[in-house]
Amino acid sequence: MKGIYYVLLLYFFLMLPPVANLMESVMIIHMHMQMTLFVIIGFLLAPALQKRFPRFFEEWNPNGIPGILLFVIVIFYWTLPRSMDEALNLWYIELFKFISLPFLAGVPLWDSWKKITASLKNGLISLFTLLFILMGWLYIWSPNQLCNNYLMIDQITLGWGFLLTAVCMIIYLAYSYITDFAKTV
Amino acid sequence: MEAIKKEYWKDKANKALGISPEDARITKSYLIVAFVAILVGGLLGLLQGMNRAGILELPVWLNYYKVLTAHGLLLVVVLSAFFTIGYFYAGLSHSLGGLLPKVRKMAWIGFWMKIFGFVLAVIPILQGDASVMYTFYPPMAAAPMFYIGLVFIVLGVWMLAFGAFINVANWRKNHKGQHIPIISFFATGVFVLLFFGSLPVAIEVFYIIPWALGWIETINVMVSRTLFWAFGHTLVNIWYMTAISAWYVFVPKIIDGRRWSDLLTRIVVIALVIMNITGGFHHQIIDPGISESVKYMHVFMSLAIGFPSLMTAYAMFAVFEKTARKKGGRGLVGWYKKLPWGDVRFLAPFIAMAAFIPAGAGGIVQSTNQLNQVAHNTMWVVGHFHLTLGMTVVMTFFGVSYWLVPYVSGRVLTKEINKLGVIQTIVWTIGMVLMSGAMHWVGLLGSPRRTSYSTYFDNATALSWDPYLFFLAIGGTLLMIGVLLQVYAVFHMMFLAPKGETEFPVADVEEDATPTPMWTERWGLWIVLMLGLVSMAYVIPLVDFIVNAPPGSPPFKTW
Ligand code: HEM
Ligand SMILES: [Cu+2]
Repeated sequence: MKGIYYVLLLYFFLMLPPVANLMESVMIIHMHMQMTLFVIIGFLLAPALQKRFPRFFEEWNPNGIPGILLFVIVIFYWTLPRSMDEALNLWYIELFKFISLPFLAGVPLWDSWKKITASLKNGLISLFTLLFILMGWLYIWSPNQLCNNYLMIDQITLGWGFLLTAVCMIIYLAYSYITDFAKTV
Repeated sequence: MEAIKKEYWKDKANKALGISPEDARITKSYLIVAFVAILVGGLLGLLQGMNRAGILELPVWLNYYKVLTAHGLLLVVVLSAFFTIGYFYAGLSHSLGGLLPKVRKMAWIGFWMKIFGFVLAVIPILQGDASVMYTFYPPMAAAPMFYIGLVFIVLGVWMLAFGAFINVANWRKNHKGQHIPIISFFATGVFVLLFFGSLPVAIEVFYIIPWALGWIETINVMVSRTLFWAFGHTLVNIWYMTAISAWYVFVPKIIDGRRWSDLLTRIVVIALVIMNITGGFHHQIIDPGISESVKYMHVFMSLAIGFPSLMTAYAMFAVFEKTARKKGGRGLVGWYKKLPWGDVRFLAPFIAMAAFIPAGAGGIVQSTNQLNQVAHNTMWVVGHFHLTLGMTVVMTFFGVSYWLVPYVSGRVLTKEINKLGVIQTIVWTIGMVLMSGAMHWVGLLGSPRRTSYSTYFDNATALSWDPYLFFLAIGGTLLMIGVLLQVYAVFHMMFLAPKGETEFPVADVEEDATPTPMWTERWGLWIVLMLGLVSMAYVIPLVDFIVNAPPGSPPFKTW
């Protein structure tokens, strides 16, 4: 369990003001890299928490559905342009970002992933693919600036980032559809 | 059941009887092209070295930049790609129980496409219409035929990549629940990178061709440079991965040892495949149009690739020490005496690995923004890649040739050729250390790369380079002797050496090794992760270059 200290170190490193400011200075890095990293920190912390509070997870997340729902709601919230703006302007929303992404998105997803069925997993990926296509469309072709804090060019870049990520997820879905992993390998 | 049994016997037969003549012919052809390329390319390199030292003035019909373009293309595109393909196709054939007839056909189509493309590209180079160097950066424009040649080379590469995928997929279908044999695992990684890495350059070339033909007037220079380096950097790591595959899989066997952890070896391959392509940006540290903060974040991507390299360095020395101690080696460092220093199949790759220590350190230097300002486009960089490519990679290839060529030719490595190989290794080492050392140093003193000899009107600084450039010429001469010895050895082993059996030396894992988990085989997932990372890395600069594009540039013929 020594690894947990490295994870916490990374967690605090990412919250350091100069590091956070650098990552938040570019819209796509703010949304696609910083936020993703915080979710990943949740993944890395999850096993330790599961061990520490097994009862809690069993009671609140018996079949994985509540965890997935929580994850989806939190992530949807953070894809809104307005929530990004607020995270930059209001310190308590920023703090909420730092806490909600690991603990309300990363940890529940980790805990739920092994409990849900394969079709629900693929359904979830499909849902996010759709969301990402929609967000891509919105950010690329919106005639207006959606965030006060970012320029149009940042917005268009983020839109393409969404579309490309959606393409990757489609490739993944196709891959898991064609090669039934458990059987071929 | 029947099928499995038959497969099993085929595997056994293959291992006992060696490679089938059809598969051997493929590898032999690729190797012949590779070594002819080094012969011609080396000669051109010597001309350049002589010119840079001020010893030789090149005639008008053979100007410096023409020679440099051919040298770069022959060694970077021909030698390394042909060797890599010949080598991995032998590995696929050996470890998967022979190539499928369909795949064999694809290998030949790919071979001729590559040759045809290369001929198309060389004609304008010889005519002096394509002195654009192997990087062919717009707005310098070559004759359209040059680019059409490149298209065929890329198509040929794709043919071979898909051939390899088909063969591996077929094997997996017949061997459910098994791991891809380690050498084929490396081959899969290399061909995945070859395919995905050559996509950006294919896009670039399809964008350049209408511009070179005059159908479109201007080109976006930054977009094309970025696409080029997404490919160029990947290519570098393809060579590197080819070289380390020999270190991980074959070198342990040659010293009578065991392979390092199978799981960690596979993780190194996966990490290299996922993280590679984005490294392209470290070739653009001085380029305009990319913001400082984006460049800064890319430093992390480049240095991340250093991590599997460090794992490799550790693994190799662990294998050496373990093997030597088993043979009775003692002391903190005394065990090194137990290694087979007189065996060229070990000596050459060992020196190659040792060369990677300064070479890798130089690479880290160059990835650093401030230091890159000093080294960029100077002879330092040329010194760097002669150390990495000309020493680490090429010497590994040389070492491999001493068993691969006899293996595919049904001959053996004789004592005399082994001795010749040891001499060759020493000559090459001294030559490359002299040449690349001089290049590094003179680069720090400001001597530019890709520039034929000039004293800049007897400028004092430029004159101070001369002694170093002289060393460069001496090193280059030694290297040319090395090339001749090596090419002689290869052709001797292929056509004249005594007939006999040579083993394909795949090392085994340790007896008490823990089994490798099956998730390492999820190639689709690795590819998706790679694509995701590439999208993230490229979307910022590319959108910026395209949306905020400057007017664009018409073609220029600067020579
Ligand atoms: C006989 C051995 C060799 C000699 C004497 C030699 C010498 C040189 C010299 C003098 C340059 C030109 C520097 C400049 O003006 O920028 C050069 C460039 C280059 N060499 Fe070599 N070299 C040799 C072998 C190799 C090998 C084995 C490789 C790779 C496998 C290689 C790859 C390259 C590349 C990629 C360039 C850069 C071309 C460019 O800037 O467009 N060389 N070499
Ligand atoms: Cu590179």
